[in-house]
Formats: sequence, C-alpha cells, structure tokens
Amino acid sequence: MTAGWLLAGASAALVTAGALAWRWARASVAATLAACGAAAAAALWTLTGAGTWDWQPGLALGGQPIHLQLDPMSAFFLALLATVGGAGSWFARGYWSDRERGSSAARGRLWWAAFLLSVGWLLLTRNGLHFLLGWELLAITAYFLITLDRRDPEARAAGWLYLAASHTATLSLFLFFAALASRTGTWELGPVRDPAVAPLFWLALIGFGIKGAVWPGHVWLPSAHASAPSHVSALLSGVAIKIGMYGLFRFSEWLPLPAQAGWVVLGLGLASGVLGVAFALAQHDLKRLLAYHSVENIGIILIGLGFAILARQYGQPAWGNLVLAGGLLHVWNHGLFKSLLFLGAGSVHHATGTRIMSQLGGLWRSMPWTASFFALGAMAIAGLPPLNGFVSEILIYVGLFDAFASGHPAYAAVGSAVLLGLTGALALACFSKVVGVVFLGAPRTAAAAHAHEAGPEQRTAMAVLAGLCVIIGLLPAGAWPLVAMVAAQWQGQPVQNTPLLLTYLGSLHLALGCAGVAAAALLMARLRRVGVRRAPTWDCGYAAPQATMQYTAGSYAATMTGWFRWILRPQRHGEPVHGIFAQPTRVTEHTGETVMQLAVEPLARAVLLLGDLARRMQHGRVQAYVLYILVGVAFIAALALHGGAP
Amino acid sequence: MIAWAEPVASTLLRAIAWIALAPLVPGIIHRTKAWIAGRRGPPILQLYYDLARLWRKEVVWSSVASPMHLLGPAVAWVAVLGAALLVPTDAAHAGLDLPGSAILFVYLLALARFGTAAAAMDTGSAFEGMGAAREVSYAVLSEVALVTGLLALSVHGGSASLAHMFDASGGVGSALLAGGLFVVLLAENCRVPFDDPNTHLELTMVHEVMVLDHSGPPLAVILHGASLKLAIFSVLLVKAVVPLGQHSPLVAVAVLGAAAAGVGVGVGIAESLMARLAFRRVPLLLTTAFLLNLFALLVEVEGGRLR
Amino acid sequence: MTDTLNLLIGIAAGLNLLALASSRLPSMIRAAALQGLVLGVLPLLLEDDWSVLLVAMAAGTALAKGFVIPSLLRRAMHAASIDREVEPLIGFVPSLLLGALATILAMLLSRSLPLLPEHSRTLLLPGALATAICGALLIMARTKAISQVCGYLVLENGAYLFGLLLLRSTPLLVEAGILLDLTVGIFVIGIVVDRIQREFDSLDTRNLTELHE
Repeated sequence: MTAGWLLAGASAALVTAGALAWRWARASVAATLAACGAAAAAALWTLTGAGTWDWQPGLALGGQPIHLQLDPMSAFFLALLATVGGAGSWFARGYWSDRERGSSAARGRLWWAAFLLSVGWLLLTRNGLHFLLGWELLAITAYFLITLDRRDPEARAAGWLYLAASHTATLSLFLFFAALASRTGTWELGPVRDPAVAPLFWLALIGFGIKGAVWPGHVWLPSAHASAPSHVSALLSGVAIKIGMYGLFRFSEWLPLPAQAGWVVLGLGLASGVLGVAFALAQHDLKRLLAYHSVENIGIILIGLGFAILARQYGQPAWGNLVLAGGLLHVWNHGLFKSLLFLGAGSVHHATGTRIMSQLGGLWRSMPWTASFFALGAMAIAGLPPLNGFVSEILIYVGLFDAFASGHPAYAAVGSAVLLGLTGALALACFSKVVGVVFLGAPRTAAAAHAHEAGPEQRTAMAVLAGLCVIIGLLPAGAWPLVAMVAAQWQGQPVQNTPLLLTYLGSLHLALGCAGVAAAALLMARLRRVGVRRAPTWDCGYAAPQATMQYTAGSYAATMTGWFRWILRPQRHGEPVHGIFAQPTRVTEHTGETVMQLAVEPLARAVLLLGDLARRMQHGRVQAYVLYILVGVAFIAALALHGGAP
Repeated sequence: MIAWAEPVASTLLRAIAWIALAPLVPGIIHRTKAWIAGRRGPPILQLYYDLARLWRKEVVWSSVASPMHLLGPAVAWVAVLGAALLVPTDAAHAGLDLPGSAILFVYLLALARFGTAAAAMDTGSAFEGMGAAREVSYAVLSEVALVTGLLALSVHGGSASLAHMFDASGGVGSALLAGGLFVVLLAENCRVPFDDPNTHLELTMVHEVMVLDHSGPPLAVILHGASLKLAIFSVLLVKAVVPLGQHSPLVAVAVLGAAAAGVGVGVGIAESLMARLAFRRVPLLLTTAFLLNLFALLVEVEGGRLR
Repeated sequence: MTDTLNLLIGIAAGLNLLALASSRLPSMIRAAALQGLVLGVLPLLLEDDWSVLLVAMAAGTALAKGFVIPSLLRRAMHAASIDREVEPLIGFVPSLLLGALATILAMLLSRSLPLLPEHSRTLLLPGALATAICGALLIMARTKAISQVCGYLVLENGAYLFGLLLLRSTPLLVEAGILLDLTVGIFVIGIVVDRIQREFDSLDTRNLTELHE
C-alpha cells in the first residue's frame, strides 16, 4: 500500500508543479523533484520485492473503469522516468532559465510535469482505452516540449514531423487495442491466452516501433532530438522512446506471439544497431549524432528482446535469461548515459551557441566538469568497462553464447555477436570522435574559445546521472535482482540467482578503476618529478599551425562513412579541388535521412497528389455537387441492397 | 592461509611477468629484421634502455593539451595490462576466470584504444588526428575479425571464458584461425602491411603518428603498452593454434614462451618480405582476416556434423 | 578419404574468394587455374579402384583446367596488351563478403537437400553451389572480358563439382559433357574477346552496349 500513497503523492506534486509553473518557479521545480523522488521510491519498493500494487477504485473514465497497477515491469520503467525526469527538471533551471527564456521556461515546467504525469499514467494503467489516452497525452506534451522555443523554425518543423510520426503510431495502436478489445470482449489489459490474437503483435510492433525509434521507423527522431531543448532531448531519448520498448516488452509478455516475432524483432534490432551507428558517424550536428545513437541502442535492446522471445518460443527460456536481462538493463543504462550526454551537449550548446562539432574544440579547458561528465557518458555508451554500458552488453554477449550452445538459433547467435561487435567498434570510433573534436584540441572558433562552464544546477544534474552510470558499472550484482524480477515476470518463471559473471565483473571493474586512478596518479607524480616544459604542439614542425587544420568530425569518420555510402547517400555541394594550381573552392557534404528521402517523402508526395486531385472536385458549382450527392446516395443504396447482408 | 591471498599473489606475479617480458617482443622483431637485411641491428633489450631513458626525461607538454593527454596513456596501459591478465599463460588455465572474459578482453583493448585516440586528439595536431582516425577505423574491422576468431575458439572450447577456450586441436580450423589471427595481430599492433613503425613519413603512419607529441614518462607508458599488446597477441595466437594441453605446466610455459618468441620472428620475417599496403587496400586484407576466422568458426560449428 | 576430399573442396571454396578479391588479372587467372587443378584430382579420391580411363580423365581435366586454358588466357592478355588491373563494378570488399555469404548459405541450403548417404558427409554439394555462385558473381561484378572468362571457368568448376555427384552412375558422360561445355565456352569467349578487341581496341565489356541498335 505504501507504493500507492507514494504514487498519489507524486501525482499531487506534479499537479502542484504544473499549477505553480508560472509564478513560483522554485516551488514548481521542488514539487517536480519531490514527485520524481516519490515515484522512484515507489518503483524501487516494488522492484525490491514488496509485491504488486493494484488499485481499482470503482471510478470510471471515458466509460471505462480505472485500473492502475504497479508491477515490476511498470516499476522498472517508472524508475527510469523518475530519474531522468528529476535530473532534467533540475538541469533546466540553469539551462532554460526564466532570466534567459522568459515565459518559455514556465511553459517548459508545465509541460514537463504534464509529460511525467502522462507517462506515469501510461505505465500504470491496465485499460486499453486509458492507455491510448495516455499515449495521446504523451504525444501532445512532447510536441509542446519540443517546440518550447516557438520562434525557432527548425524546432517547429521537427515538432510537426514528430506529431505526424506519433500519430501514425497512434493509428496502428488504435487498431491494435480495438482489435484486441473486440476479440477479448473487454478493454481491460492483461495476459491473454487466445492464440488468435497473435497476429495483432505486428500492429503493436509498428506502433511501438515508430515510437521507439526502431529503424526504419526512426525518421522523426533525428530532427526532434536535435532541435528540441537539450533537457527535452534527454527526456525524449531517455524516456519517450523507452515507452515504445515498454510496449514491446509488455505486450510480448502478455500476448501469444506469431511464430516469426522473435526473428523479426531480432532483425529489426540488428538493422537498427548497425545502421543507427553508421548514420551517427556521418553527422556534423552533435545532437543529431546522439539521436542516431539512440537508434543504435534501441537496436541492442531489441537484440536482447528478440533472442528472449526465441528462447521462449523454443520452450527453453533458461538460455534467454541473460539476453533478456541484458536487454532490460540496457533500457536503464541507455536512459542514463544518453540523458547525460544530451545534458552535456545542451551545456555545450548553451556555452557556445552552436551544435556543429567542427566549430567547437578545446572545451575541456573552459568547461572541465561538463567535459569530464560527457567523456564518462561517451565511454559508457561505447560499452567500455568499467561503466554500465559494458555490463548490459556483456550480458547480451554471454547470453548469445548460451543461445548458440543451446543449438537452436546457432547461426543467428553467431551473426548477432559479430554484428554487435561491429556496432560496438563503430560506436567507440564515433565517441572518440565526439570527445576528441568537441572537447580536446584547440578551439576552432571564437565561440568555442570563449565558452563558459555550465552552472551549478546543470553540473549537479549531470553528476547524478554520471554517478548512476558508475554505480551500475561497479556494482552490477546489485542491479541484478531488480532486473531479474522484471525478467522473471516477463518469462513467467523465476530466473537464476545473481550470475557469477556479474559478481566477478563488479570486483574486476573496481580493480580496474582503482588501477586506472593509481596509474594516473603515479604518472602525475612522475611528471612533477621530472619537470614539465610548456610548448606549442609540435605538429611535425609546421610553423604556422591553425586550429582549423585539426581533424574535423567529417574527416575523422571519412573512412568509415565511406563503407556505408550505399545507405548514407551523402550529398556533396561544390567542386572539389583539382589540378596542380588549384583555385580556392568550397565543398560541403551533407548526409540526409535516407529513409525519409526514399520512402516517407515519396509517400507523402503521393498522398498530397491524391489530395490535389480530390480537390478538383471542389469547384463551387452547385449543380455538380447535387450530382455528387445523387451518386453517393445511389452508391450507398446499391451497397445496402447488394453487399449489406452477408 | 587466507583464501584470496593465493589468487592475488599469482595475479601479481603474472602481472610482473607480463610487464617485465613484454618489451622483449619488439626486440625480437627488430633483431629478425636486421638479421634478414644483413645488418647487425639494435640489441634485443633496446626497448628496455629506451623506456628507462624516457622515464627519466623531462616532459614537453603541448600548450593546448588537457589532462586527457596524461589520463589517456595511463588508462590505456592499465586496460592493456588487464587484458593481459585475462589471457591464460599455462595449461592450468591460470587466467582470471570470468565467464565471458573473452568479451571483456576485447572491450579492454577497446578502452585502451579510446585512451590513446583521445590523448592523440588532445594535441590539436592534424597529423595526430589523422593517426587517431586511422587507428579507430581499422580497429573496427580488426575488432570484428578478433570477435569472430574468439567466437570460433569459444565454440571449440565450449565456453566464452578465455580460461577455458584454448584447447587447440591443430586441425583445419586452427590453420584458418592462425592466418586470421596473425593478420589481426599485425593490424592491431600497427605492423608492416598496415603501418610501418620505422617510416619517417608522417603521412603514412598510424600508431607512430599518434604519439608524436608525447614525451618522457607518458611516452614510455605508451611504448610499453604497445609492446604489451604485441606480447598479448603473440601469446593469444600461440594458445589458439598450438596444442599445449598434454604437456606438464612447466614445459607448457616454456613452449608457450618459445612459440611467442617464434611469433615475433614471424612478424619480423613478414615485415622484411612485405611492403606497406596502400591504405585503400587495408580493408580488403582485414576482411580476409575476418573471413578466415569466420570459416574457422564454420569449421568448428559444422565439423561435428561432417565427421 | 572424406577428410582429404573436404579439405580440397574447402581449398577450392577459398580460391573462389581469392579470385573475387584479386585486383590483378594474373592472380585471378592463377586462382582459377589452381582451382581447376585441385578439382581435377577429386575423381581419384572419390573412386576406390582406379581405372585407366579414370586416371586419364583426371589428368586431362587437371591439365586442361589447370594449365592449358590459363596459359591461353595469359597469352591472350599479353597479345592484346591488356592492362593488368581488374576493374570492379562491385568493389572488392563487398564482392568478397557476398562470396562468403554465398558459401555459408550454400552450406546451410545443402543440409536440407536430399542426398545419397555417401555424399551427405562430403562438401561436394555446398562446394558446387558456392563455386557456381561465386563464378556468376565474378561475371556480374567485373568489367573486363578476361575476368569474365575467369568467372566462366569458376562457374564451370562448380558445374564439374555437381557432376562429381553423378560420377558413380555415369562417369564418362559427365566428364565428356564437362569438357565439351568448356571447349564451347572458351570458343565463344575467344571469339567475343577477339571481336571486342578489333572493334574497340579494349576489352571492356561495357562497350558491348554500344552494339545495340
């Protein structure tokens, strides 16, 4: 029952936060933080074994009885929501402050609270209609959050695209829930045994896949994440797309699945993983790059889910344990380090006014805290030990080995492991590029040279997220019971105790961290001893070095993007230099969104064309309109007479 | 006797052995190359002298460098040493026995790469940026090949732990694996067909160009880390290909050491016979290594069915 | 015996990939020749009692595939003074990966095909499939006529491997058919090469498109 009171308190605090958003900024943020704290407490309460909280007050909303339930699966996502929601709202105090942004900051607080409330509702409700209600609220509040800066045309365009994509997803989900309700006879959600509902999973996959930014449903994501304010990007990437994952985990738990579901999910995961990171490599905009990495990480989560589904369908959930747990843990991990990275990118944008990586550089010296947190996040997302990203990835790898050893999807497991390795190596390349180009070296522009460190609120928010990344990295065995509870719920049977792997890994990570610190300290002491002389970078003796001569984001990744030209389809503008006495020239290269250009835009054009044709029927001649009516009535009459009765 | 004292002592012992012996491998390679070219060549212990000299030298610190310039080498060295400790060095499987340690091994090497690449980018030098870009790009392909090779080994040994997967059979799979892993060794350590460690033209360098602005103790750490990595890959290659299981532990260690030195000689011979590849041909060679390892994997998977 | 057989077929499959990865014509010709030589030995491994005919056939095949045709090709290359560089339509790395994929898929596919018990443990069928696909790939993905002849040779080697599956029932027919096929193929290609050479002073098959109306 404690969970219920905590959640009631959290909702009340969020409503208060919304109400206070305009006048009492500080109180509003405090209320949001309190709500997040309460929600996190309720979630952890459930995850540590306090049992499921179920609430049916006998009230009705929209003709359907309200039914809320906090089970481990909901609690797992609720904990992430509370963490990122709290960190982001605190970050916004420095980043999107009333002093700089005026009424936009107040609107931000209001929509933030509304967003948290609608996602919380979505996670807890057990009614299909109410789920759709929450889904729609989520879409709308996220739209207003993306377009907080109303004067920015990019943000407005991104908002529209997001809204359109979101409604495509809603359409699919509406069909899904309606068909489910008509089959089961109730809008109540819960485990279903009837195998006839299995094909509905495809509808759910489309809807949740678009929301969850699964390739190729990710078209809305790059522009939305890039143009939104950074704390909003963090929330979108850390939480909103995870709701898509929640839907997939949830309904793959509850519904019987079609036989190919596991393979399709796995295929989508692999495609998202490799292509997401390939597109990320080609980006020049820091936040667009991070956005594409969300696609990649969603892919990793789906690899876990896909194999878990396969394991269950083969009737041997045991070897699915580790992949499932790895996929679930990656939901948390990605939520943490991606929010951290977006907050860091926001601080950089705030300090320099640009998101183009090749206009930055050398920020480590002007903003050491932000740089350190960002580098930590970069190492975590690249899956490097001893941080949290590696924990979930090694779980998936070892799980893949289990899958191989089981003998069923042996080739798929081998292929997935190789592609996962490829994804990891590309992600490492990408983030060494980001850290190197943005934070290291010399500043490339005056804006980068005069950057200022992020404010205390921004730093605290980043520190909290970075701290959680480190904690999960160093104490993976501590995270296991929480994840195992969710995995057990999904599989419908208990999973193994803390694997030896995690116990060992924790102590190895600790040893690695200590050794790293010790080695750095030793080296530092040695430097003091032998003495340090300052000099300009040698650069092979070149006498007039300029900051613009440094490797840029584009040149750093050029080799790798070359391998993916077939899908990246970069567009080059301007003539490259040629000849011996070359004239000055200007060349730009730009990688668009291939799915958008090749699939979505032609489709949209076709729809518009149809619309134009249809509009010709509206010409203002009343005579013709009467004819239309007559034809229409005749058609309906024919239908009623002929086709109406079966 | 405390239960944890023995493993800790043995780990420490092996760490010291790795640290102390690793600089021998580049020495062997140089000696081989000199011998083939008919020169006398540097003494086999040359790297030890270099490291001792660098450790005492003053540091010239680039004016644009951040703490990453020092953190990078330190982290990279620790990561490589950690990877070394995962590799079992005798028949008794005395590596750190972690389920899935093969993956940890790969990612520790990745961590080391992150450290060196970041330290290189830190100087703001175009040349070092170029080196870092090449290093991470080629590493993508060689890491895929390495993962595939380790998968083949783990399928063969029935475990994803480095401590249990080296049970070389000496069959066709081992032959393929030997080829694949040797190419990976050359690529990961920036040896000749991929990079020429002795060249003096910065435009053609990979690893050497990344450390141009390092000096003194940090450079010593980087060089030692590089030799450590070379030693790791030599031992890995030997363990993967040569059946050592039936020997007594002492003999096995001796055989392992001799064979690892033999790998060094092999690298020296390869370097003497080959020229550096054009950069656009590098992906082809690494893809070949990947395919060799992939077919080794296939032989392991399908072998049971055909026999 | 089966192990040696599988080893040789594996080597032949590796030579497919080598041919796909070759950036110079001579090395591509060498790969195809070596493959022919390796495959020529196979009948001796498949049959337990060696008849004179069998030995003669094997020697003939090895000689033709391994020496005669390659040396003809080399001579053609020199006579027409063709540049040694291979010009790929599909890059070397992608074609190599495609070839490997084809090999693995052939392996998986041959599991589900009904085979004689004595063949189920050999790699004859997957090897034949992989070789045929790689040959076709070579023809599709390269521009020069010489490299297409090499592709054709590799394709023929695949067909020959298929034929070995029938060796026990109709040995002579298989061999004769293969050799006939090969001769015709070489004839046709030889004529085509000659025509292109005379017409365009180069051996780029892309020029053939100019011959249409």
